[in-house]
Amino acid sequence: MSQKLQLNQLKKRGIFQQSIIIDLLIWAFLIITALFVLAPTIFMFTASFMPANDILKMPYRWIPKSFYWQNFWQGIRGNDGSFIYIRNIFNSFIVAAVVSATTVFFSALAGFGLAKYYFKGRNLVFMIIMATMMIPFEAIMIPLYLVTTKLGLQDSYAGLIAPFLVNAFGIFLMRQYFITFPDEILDAARIDGASELMIFRSIILPNSIPAVATLAILIFKAQWDNLLWPLLVVQSEEMKTIPLYIVKFMAEKHTDEGAMMAVAAIASIPILLVFFKLSKYFLGGAAIYSSRKG
Amino acid sequence: MKKLFVLFLFVFLLIMTVNTVNAMEITFWTHEDPNRTEIENRYIAEFEKANPGVTIKRVTSGSGKIQELILTAFAAKQGPDIFNMSIEDEYAYIVNERLAPVDFEAAGYPSLQAIYDAYIPGVLKPATYKGKLYGLPLELTNWCIYLNKKVFRDVGLDPEKDYPKTWEEMVEVSDKIAIRDGEILSRRGFDFRYPYYLVSTVPMVEQLGGKLISDDGKTAIVNDEAWLKFLKFMQEWGPNGKILGSPTYANARKLFNKDNNDIGMCLTGLYQQGRIRSDNPDFYNSGDWMVIPFPIFENAVKDVPAAYYGHYYMVNGQKPEENKKMAWKFIAYMLSHGEEYLTKVNIVQPTNQLMESKTFKSMPYSKVFTDDMSKGHVVYYGENSAEIQSFIREAVESVMLAGSSPEDSLNTLRRKVQEILDEE
Amino acid sequence: MSKRNTKYSIERKKAQWGWIFITPSLIIFSLFNFYPILNALYTSLFKKKLLSLKPPTFIGLHNYAYLLDSPDFWNSIRATVVFTIGTFVPLLIFSLLFAVFIMSRKRFQKFFQMAYYSPAVLSSVVAAAIWLIIFDPRGLANQWLNIIMNSPGIDHNWLANSIMVQLSTILVYGWKYVGYFTIIFIVGLASIPKSIYEAAKIDGGNNWKNFWYITLPLLKPTTILVSIMSMLQCLKTFSTQYLFTQGGAPLAPINVITLNVYHTAIRDHRIGRASAMSIILFIMMLVFTWMQFRSSRADEITY
Repeated sequence: MSQKLQLNQLKKRGIFQQSIIIDLLIWAFLIITALFVLAPTIFMFTASFMPANDILKMPYRWIPKSFYWQNFWQGIRGNDGSFIYIRNIFNSFIVAAVVSATTVFFSALAGFGLAKYYFKGRNLVFMIIMATMMIPFEAIMIPLYLVTTKLGLQDSYAGLIAPFLVNAFGIFLMRQYFITFPDEILDAARIDGASELMIFRSIILPNSIPAVATLAILIFKAQWDNLLWPLLVVQSEEMKTIPLYIVKFMAEKHTDEGAMMAVAAIASIPILLVFFKLSKYFLGGAAIYSSRKG
Repeated sequence: MKKLFVLFLFVFLLIMTVNTVNAMEITFWTHEDPNRTEIENRYIAEFEKANPGVTIKRVTSGSGKIQELILTAFAAKQGPDIFNMSIEDEYAYIVNERLAPVDFEAAGYPSLQAIYDAYIPGVLKPATYKGKLYGLPLELTNWCIYLNKKVFRDVGLDPEKDYPKTWEEMVEVSDKIAIRDGEILSRRGFDFRYPYYLVSTVPMVEQLGGKLISDDGKTAIVNDEAWLKFLKFMQEWGPNGKILGSPTYANARKLFNKDNNDIGMCLTGLYQQGRIRSDNPDFYNSGDWMVIPFPIFENAVKDVPAAYYGHYYMVNGQKPEENKKMAWKFIAYMLSHGEEYLTKVNIVQPTNQLMESKTFKSMPYSKVFTDDMSKGHVVYYGENSAEIQSFIREAVESVMLAGSSPEDSLNTLRRKVQEILDEE
Repeated sequence: MSKRNTKYSIERKKAQWGWIFITPSLIIFSLFNFYPILNALYTSLFKKKLLSLKPPTFIGLHNYAYLLDSPDFWNSIRATVVFTIGTFVPLLIFSLLFAVFIMSRKRFQKFFQMAYYSPAVLSSVVAAAIWLIIFDPRGLANQWLNIIMNSPGIDHNWLANSIMVQLSTILVYGWKYVGYFTIIFIVGLASIPKSIYEAAKIDGGNNWKNFWYITLPLLKPTTILVSIMSMLQCLKTFSTQYLFTQGGAPLAPINVITLNVYHTAIRDHRIGRASAMSIILFIMMLVFTWMQFRSSRADEITY
């Protein structure tokens, strides 16, 4: 008995030593790759404090000699001194917030309808909605622009928002989430005399907070990033969003890398803060739709 | 959630209604240029005061983006009243009859001929189509070479004497100026202005006797030898040759202004002086820069400088008559300030009056520019010039960067341009 | 009889409510998705110039025939396929590796997840701005590679050489999305019941065997989902290539279909031909997805 135990311990130690080496290798791999992944972001922040000719000096000095705040001043002020960037940041917030709200609302509605109601052609409708996920935006850009201008929405918040009021991915996500919701609860509510809308409002919505939060954040991020559509639909400076401002700033002052990085940093700080604060939903966002599939 | 949504709907409606109250609004889209914005905003204020009930909405976008914006807007029949682009981008609007011809009365001229007489000969031709004039020039620009004297002296060259007169000398001088860390350039002698192949590189081919399109407009690529020599020159210039420059380095003309000892020469127009002055007044006043003519090849058969191009103010043909009239009136009002455009923004409006004025003649190096311009011709313009330019770009890139042979690239270029010509 | 009737009417009522719930979304989709794609399909049968006011000429399938005969369009298909495969295979391998390694750690799990995910938060315009500076001949990319390869002074032509520029777009894309897929895998891993591993331990399996015979097969649904999503995203890639060519990179090697569509429509004004191109891309994406859905449905995994 004791012999057997010793043998076991020996075996374990051998495996243990081997696994220490593997363990260290895994740590090294993770740390080095993480540094590589983080490097460009860190580069952006350090470069934003440097005058342009320090940034492209070889070798790159990661720590700025002194804090060159002029970059940020120039970035916010703009090349024409109009401070329009502040308004543009505000626009990005408005558009992203409204789109998140409407997408969540309509997606939850449609997702619920598709998950819990049986009607003829339901699968067809679901397939058609899913197919819209495969439409490349460039393919419908021009007709979409025609629709928007026909509705008189160009160069306004409404025009920036309208095409994104709902999206197929949101419906997919919410449907997957609702499918597992127990039918018994819904039926019990119906027997108690609740209308379908009431069921949606007072049973479904309160019980889908994690999915709603995740979807809202994903959509917010996607809108924050949106470039091509605002590029087409918005003309005046007052209606531009952050990516448009950056592209314009790049075109005007292409070589002033310092100011460029400052503008990029200003655009990134709010979203990074939100990311750190709400990381459980960001990380959970990927989570929810991976656990199930259609 | 629902309340929130109703609130948003309400906000939409509010925005939409606010957008639709106005008497007469003239929309005016133009490319970004801070120096111009300043003076044109003043003209707008003055014009609005003199014409009550008229508002002018001036909108700017980056010079690389404006073509796309105007195009989509016109495709959706939502174009602005007034816009300007470079002529090779504007020409398609003329041939597709999307524009309103110049209203000479509204613009304050006694007759159409009076307009032609007011401008230097030939400059209105690109905007003339089937006997009608469709645009008035905001600027006429040609490019010469700006040179940083300090960089020249640094390598023991006398800028006044040793400046490059030929492309062969350009290679020599640039090689001398270049500072390299291995293959990586930290100082370049000269570098091209890469996306603008019609303006600056087609003339180089023409110096050698070649042509982009034959005179009858039917054959693409005339004189293969000239084209091959030009492509080989670019191959030598790039990272697979003598390593003197490449399109992926920072834009030469913007580095030039900073005077950071990283570029010796760049190719740009008279307007650069205004930008040097606002970016780096010390350098502007130091007198350490000068302008030299566009070089030619040693065995050139023709002296062809960089082509000149114009930005023309144009008016949307689908707007109501009174809008068109007001638009031409406003354009004429802006253009009546030629001297201020010249002194504040350094752009040249090619009227006889301005070209003969003391202000113009006393501009530093304005004679270098006018001399080159008098020898040159207008840039190639046509309905498909943007497409053709991108084909030239692809040909040069494939030789310079991707290592294709000049012959292969030339054949591809010929096939593509010919296809467009055959289609017309 | 009456019982069947009420049941029937409840079903009907439920069906009605189902339609009511999806109607708002369907209206929005019709306006902003179905109509534009049908419009594109219709336009693809015409020779139409964007600026022309003349009525377009009907040319049937000529646009499609032209494209299938055009070396340029085949180059775009090549660029798209190279980019898609070149991105999504390493993306899949790396995100799986990261996920497995992170899950094997007892500490700093969250730190690594956030580190890998953080680039996905940055906007693609910001990402392109940063990488254009890094890929400058004097930038970090050359400096680091030259340190690693001990080859001072070599310019690796990140944006200039036709092979390197393809690699650069793949690198930027992979950098941006690897964290995203890592987290999907982590969730997939977390959902595998521990009891399965305990059973395996009793059977005497080691870590490697466990991974190969238990983890990997059980991760199949997640893997398929990641493949579909990343493949569709790669096929639709636009902004990295667009901003790189704006920054001076040669067009031909990275002229993916979406970029070609954009140029054909916006630069060349050929809206009919551009529409045909986007319909072909749409069909390609449909076929890919359909194939992957089919292969995934063939053998469902249940725990």
